Amino acid sequence: MPNQEADSCAVFAGSSGERVVLLSQLQVCHGLPVRSEAAADPQRARIAKGGHRKWTDIFVQILAEQEVENLSGLSTNPDKDIFVVRENGTTCLMAEFAVRFVVPYDVLALNGIDLITEQAQITLPRGADIKGKCAATEAELQISWLKDAYTFRLFFIKFGMSLFASSRYSYARLGPRTAAGAAPPSAPFVFPSRAVRNAPNRLCAHFTRAALEVIEASTLEYKEEDEKAGKHTASSHHLSAFVTPKGRSYVCQAQQTLSLITSDHQKGVTVFMSDVQIQPFDIPSDFTFSDAYKCITDQREQLEETLPLILGIILALIIVITLAVYHIHQKMTATPVQIPRDRSQYKNM
Amino acid sequence: MATLIRSKISSAATSVTNKSQAKVSGMFARMGFQAATDEEALGFASCDDLDYEHRQGLQMDILKTEDGGADGVGETDVEGDSHYQRDGTGPPPYTSKDDGMCAELGGQDRPRITAWEAGWNVTNAIQGMFVLGLPYAILHGGYLGLFLIIFAAVVCCYTGKILIACLYEENEDGELVRVRDSYVDIANACCTPRFPKLGGRIVNVAQIIELVMTCILYVVVSGNLMYNSFPSLPVSQKSWSIIATAALLPCAFLKNLKAVSKFSLLCTLAHFVINILVIAYCLSRARDWAWDKVKFYIDVKKFPISIGIIVFSYTSQIFLPSLEGNMQKPKEFHCMMNWTHIAACILKGLFALVAYLTWADETKEVITDNLPSTIRAVVNIFLVAKALLSYPLPFFAAVEVIEKSLFQDGGRAIFPNCYGGDGRLKAWGLTLRCALVVFTLLMAIYVPHFALLMGLTGSLTGAGLCFLLPSLFHLKLLWRKLLWHQVFFDVSIFVIGGICSISGFIHSLEGLIEAFKYNIQD
Repeated sequence: MPNQEADSCAVFAGSSGERVVLLSQLQVCHGLPVRSEAAADPQRARIAKGGHRKWTDIFVQILAEQEVENLSGLSTNPDKDIFVVRENGTTCLMAEFAVRFVVPYDVLALNGIDLITEQAQITLPRGADIKGKCAATEAELQISWLKDAYTFRLFFIKFGMSLFASSRYSYARLGPRTAAGAAPPSAPFVFPSRAVRNAPNRLCAHFTRAALEVIEASTLEYKEEDEKAGKHTASSHHLSAFVTPKGRSYVCQAQQTLSLITSDHQKGVTVFMSDVQIQPFDIPSDFTFSDAYKCITDQREQLEETLPLILGIILALIIVITLAVYHIHQKMTATPVQIPRDRSQYKNM
Repeated sequence: MATLIRSKISSAATSVTNKSQAKVSGMFARMGFQAATDEEALGFASCDDLDYEHRQGLQMDILKTEDGGADGVGETDVEGDSHYQRDGTGPPPYTSKDDGMCAELGGQDRPRITAWEAGWNVTNAIQGMFVLGLPYAILHGGYLGLFLIIFAAVVCCYTGKILIACLYEENEDGELVRVRDSYVDIANACCTPRFPKLGGRIVNVAQIIELVMTCILYVVVSGNLMYNSFPSLPVSQKSWSIIATAALLPCAFLKNLKAVSKFSLLCTLAHFVINILVIAYCLSRARDWAWDKVKFYIDVKKFPISIGIIVFSYTSQIFLPSLEGNMQKPKEFHCMMNWTHIAACILKGLFALVAYLTWADETKEVITDNLPSTIRAVVNIFLVAKALLSYPLPFFAAVEVIEKSLFQDGGRAIFPNCYGGDGRLKAWGLTLRCALVVFTLLMAIYVPHFALLMGLTGSLTGAGLCFLLPSLFHLKLLWRKLLWHQVFFDVSIFVIGGICSISGFIHSLEGLIEAFKYNIQD
C-alpha cells in the first residue's frame, strides 16, 4: 500500500507462503519525516475534519485507549507492550510483543581516520504512537516514538493458496492479476488469481494480490551526528514471518530474529522480537485474541518438556511389569523346603 | 577343660583339614546322612559350624536368639572356634565365615572370580570418566601434573594393599588368617574398646554416599553426552537420562561379582578404544606438538581443582575388600594391584601428555571439546557406552553394602533378608534394587550442578576412604608389626590425604557457591 507520509521509506513485499498465511514485512524508518498534520493521527484527523462525531464515539474512543493502557500494564515482561489498532469502534489489529533493535553505526576512531562500527540497542518505550490500517486482506501496524524520530512498520498479508497450486507456484514465477485493480508496474510478483472453489482438499480458495508496493530503498548511513542525520531505512526482502492459519492469532514465546537490510549490506538492522502474540485479521471481538497458534520453536519446546514425563511413565510401567513377572515367576518355581524332622543324627557327630 | 585344650590344638593344627572335612560333612549332613567322621578333632565349634550351615541352608531360624554375642566377639578372634569356648553362644562370626562356608558348600550362588576379573573391576574403578579432564590438569600444572599422576598411582596402590593387610591377622603359627571381611569390620575392629559400632557406621555411611554418588554421576554423564551428541533432536538431557536408566535397569538383577566383572571388562575395552582413538589422532598431528609449552610452574588458582581430579580418580579402595574376598587365589591380589595401577598410570600419563602437546593452550576442560566433530561423535558414543558399563560395579557394591547393613536375618539388622533360603533374590529385594536405580535417576535429574556436588562429597568421603582411613586403620591394627618406614609412609599419606581433602573441599564449596550465585542472578 502506498505510503501516505512524504518520507520515502522503502518497502519490499515478501511472500512465499503455503496454505493460508499471514505475511508480514517490516520496515524501520528513522529520520524526520515531513508530512501533513492531517495524516498524523487518523482518529484525530477524523475528529478535526468532521467535527460532528457523536459524543458516544468519543467516549468509546477514550475507553479504548484506557483499555490499551490497562492491557499494556498487565504483562510481566517490562519490555512487552501491546499495540492496538481500532477502526469503526472495534479492534481490527492487535499485537503484543517485546522488541529490540540492534542498529550498527560508524564512529570515528580516536586516530581520526578509521571508522569503527558500533552497535546501538534500541527498545520501544511505553506510550509510543500507534497507527494502523486494516483491510480485508492487508493490514499495517505502524509504531513511532520519540516524536516520530523512529518508526517501525509491520505489513501483514492474508492470502490463500490451494495445495494443488502450491506445488506449481512455489516461488516468484507468477503472473499479474487480471481482475480489477492494477498491479503496480514494478511488482516483483503476484499470485495468480484463479478462483478454485469446491475442491475437496483444497484450502481457502482465492488468490489475492500479494505484492505490495515496491519502492526503491533510499537508505543512508546511520550516523549519530546531526549533520548527516537523514532518513535511514532498513527493510526486509521477501520476508515470510508469523505464518499462521486463518482465524487464529500467532503466539511465540521464543525469541525471533529478523534482519532488515539497508543499501549497505554490511550493516543491517537486526530486530529481536520475543513473547509475541499478533492477530491482524479476523479479530472476534474487542480486545480479544482468537485461538493461539504456536510457532514451531514453541511447539518443539513443548514437546521437549512433555517428553520426560512420557518417558518417566513408560519407565515406571516397565519396572512394575518386571517386578510383577519376577514375583509370579518366584512363586511358581519355588522349591519346597525340606526341614528334617529327625534331629537324632546330630548326636553322632 | 580338656576339650577346650584339645579342640584348640587340633583345630589350630588342622584348620584347613577341618574346613574341608566340614565341607564334606556339611554336604552329607544336608543330604541327611550322618557325618562321616571319627575325630573328635572336628570340635564342637566345627560341629556348630556344620549345624549352622545346615540350618541356614534349610531356612531354620533357630539362631535368631543367638546374635547378641556375634558382633561383640568379632574383633580379636584368631580362629573361629575359640569363640565357642569363650562365651558359649556358639558359632563364629556369621559375616565372614558363613559366607565363605556357604560359598564352598555351593549352597549359595557365589562363584569366585579370577585375578583377571578382579583386575577388570579395579581398572573400571580407577580409569574413570575423569581421564578426559587430565590434559586440562597438565595445562595448569605442567610437569607437576604428570608427576602427580604417577605419584597418586603409587600411593593408591600402597593404601589398597595396606587396607587388605588389615583384613588379616597372624595366628599362633605365624600364618595369616582372614578374620575380617569388609571395610566395616575393619572400622569396627579399630574402634572396639569404646565405640564398637561407631566406626562401622561412619564407614557405612561414607561408602554408601560415595557409591551412590558415583552411580548418579554416570547417569548424569551419559545424559549429558547424549544430549550434546544430538542437539537437533527435541530430546532434552532429562529425557536422555531416563532412557539411560531404562538401559541400566537390568543391573537390578546382578547376583555376584562374576557378572559384574564381565561388564567391567567391556567397560575397560571401551576405555581402551577411546584412548586409542584420541592418542592416534594426536599422534597424527605429531609434527605440531608443542614440547616447549609444558610448564614447570603451576597455576595456583586452577591447579588445586586439577589435583582433585588427578588424585581422586584412583579411588578403588571401596571395592577391594569384597573383591579380595571373592578371589579364587587371594595371593594374586598384590600382583593384580601392581599391574592395574601401573597400567592405569602409564595410560593416563600418556593420554594427558599427548593430548596436551597437541592442543597446548587451547586445551579445553574436557578434551573431547577439542576434537574434530567426526571423531568427537565416535568418542562420545564410546564414552556413553563406558558410562553405562561402569555403572554395575558401584551399583552392585552399594547394594551389597546396604543389604549387609540393613537387611540381614536373625535380627542382626532392621529388616529381614533380601535373599530367600535357596539364595534367590526375593521379589521385594528386587523392588529395593529397582528403587535404588530410580533414586539415582531422580537425583541425576533434579540435583543441579551435580559435578560440583560430587567434588564436594568426593573430597570428604573419597579422600577419607582412600587415604585417611586405610593409613589410620593400618597404624592402629598392626602397630606392633610395622617397620619404621611403613609408619612413616602411613603418617605422611594421612597428612597429604588430609591436605588434599581440605583443599578439595574448600574449592568445591567455592565453586558451588559461585554456581548458585550465577544461577540466581541469571
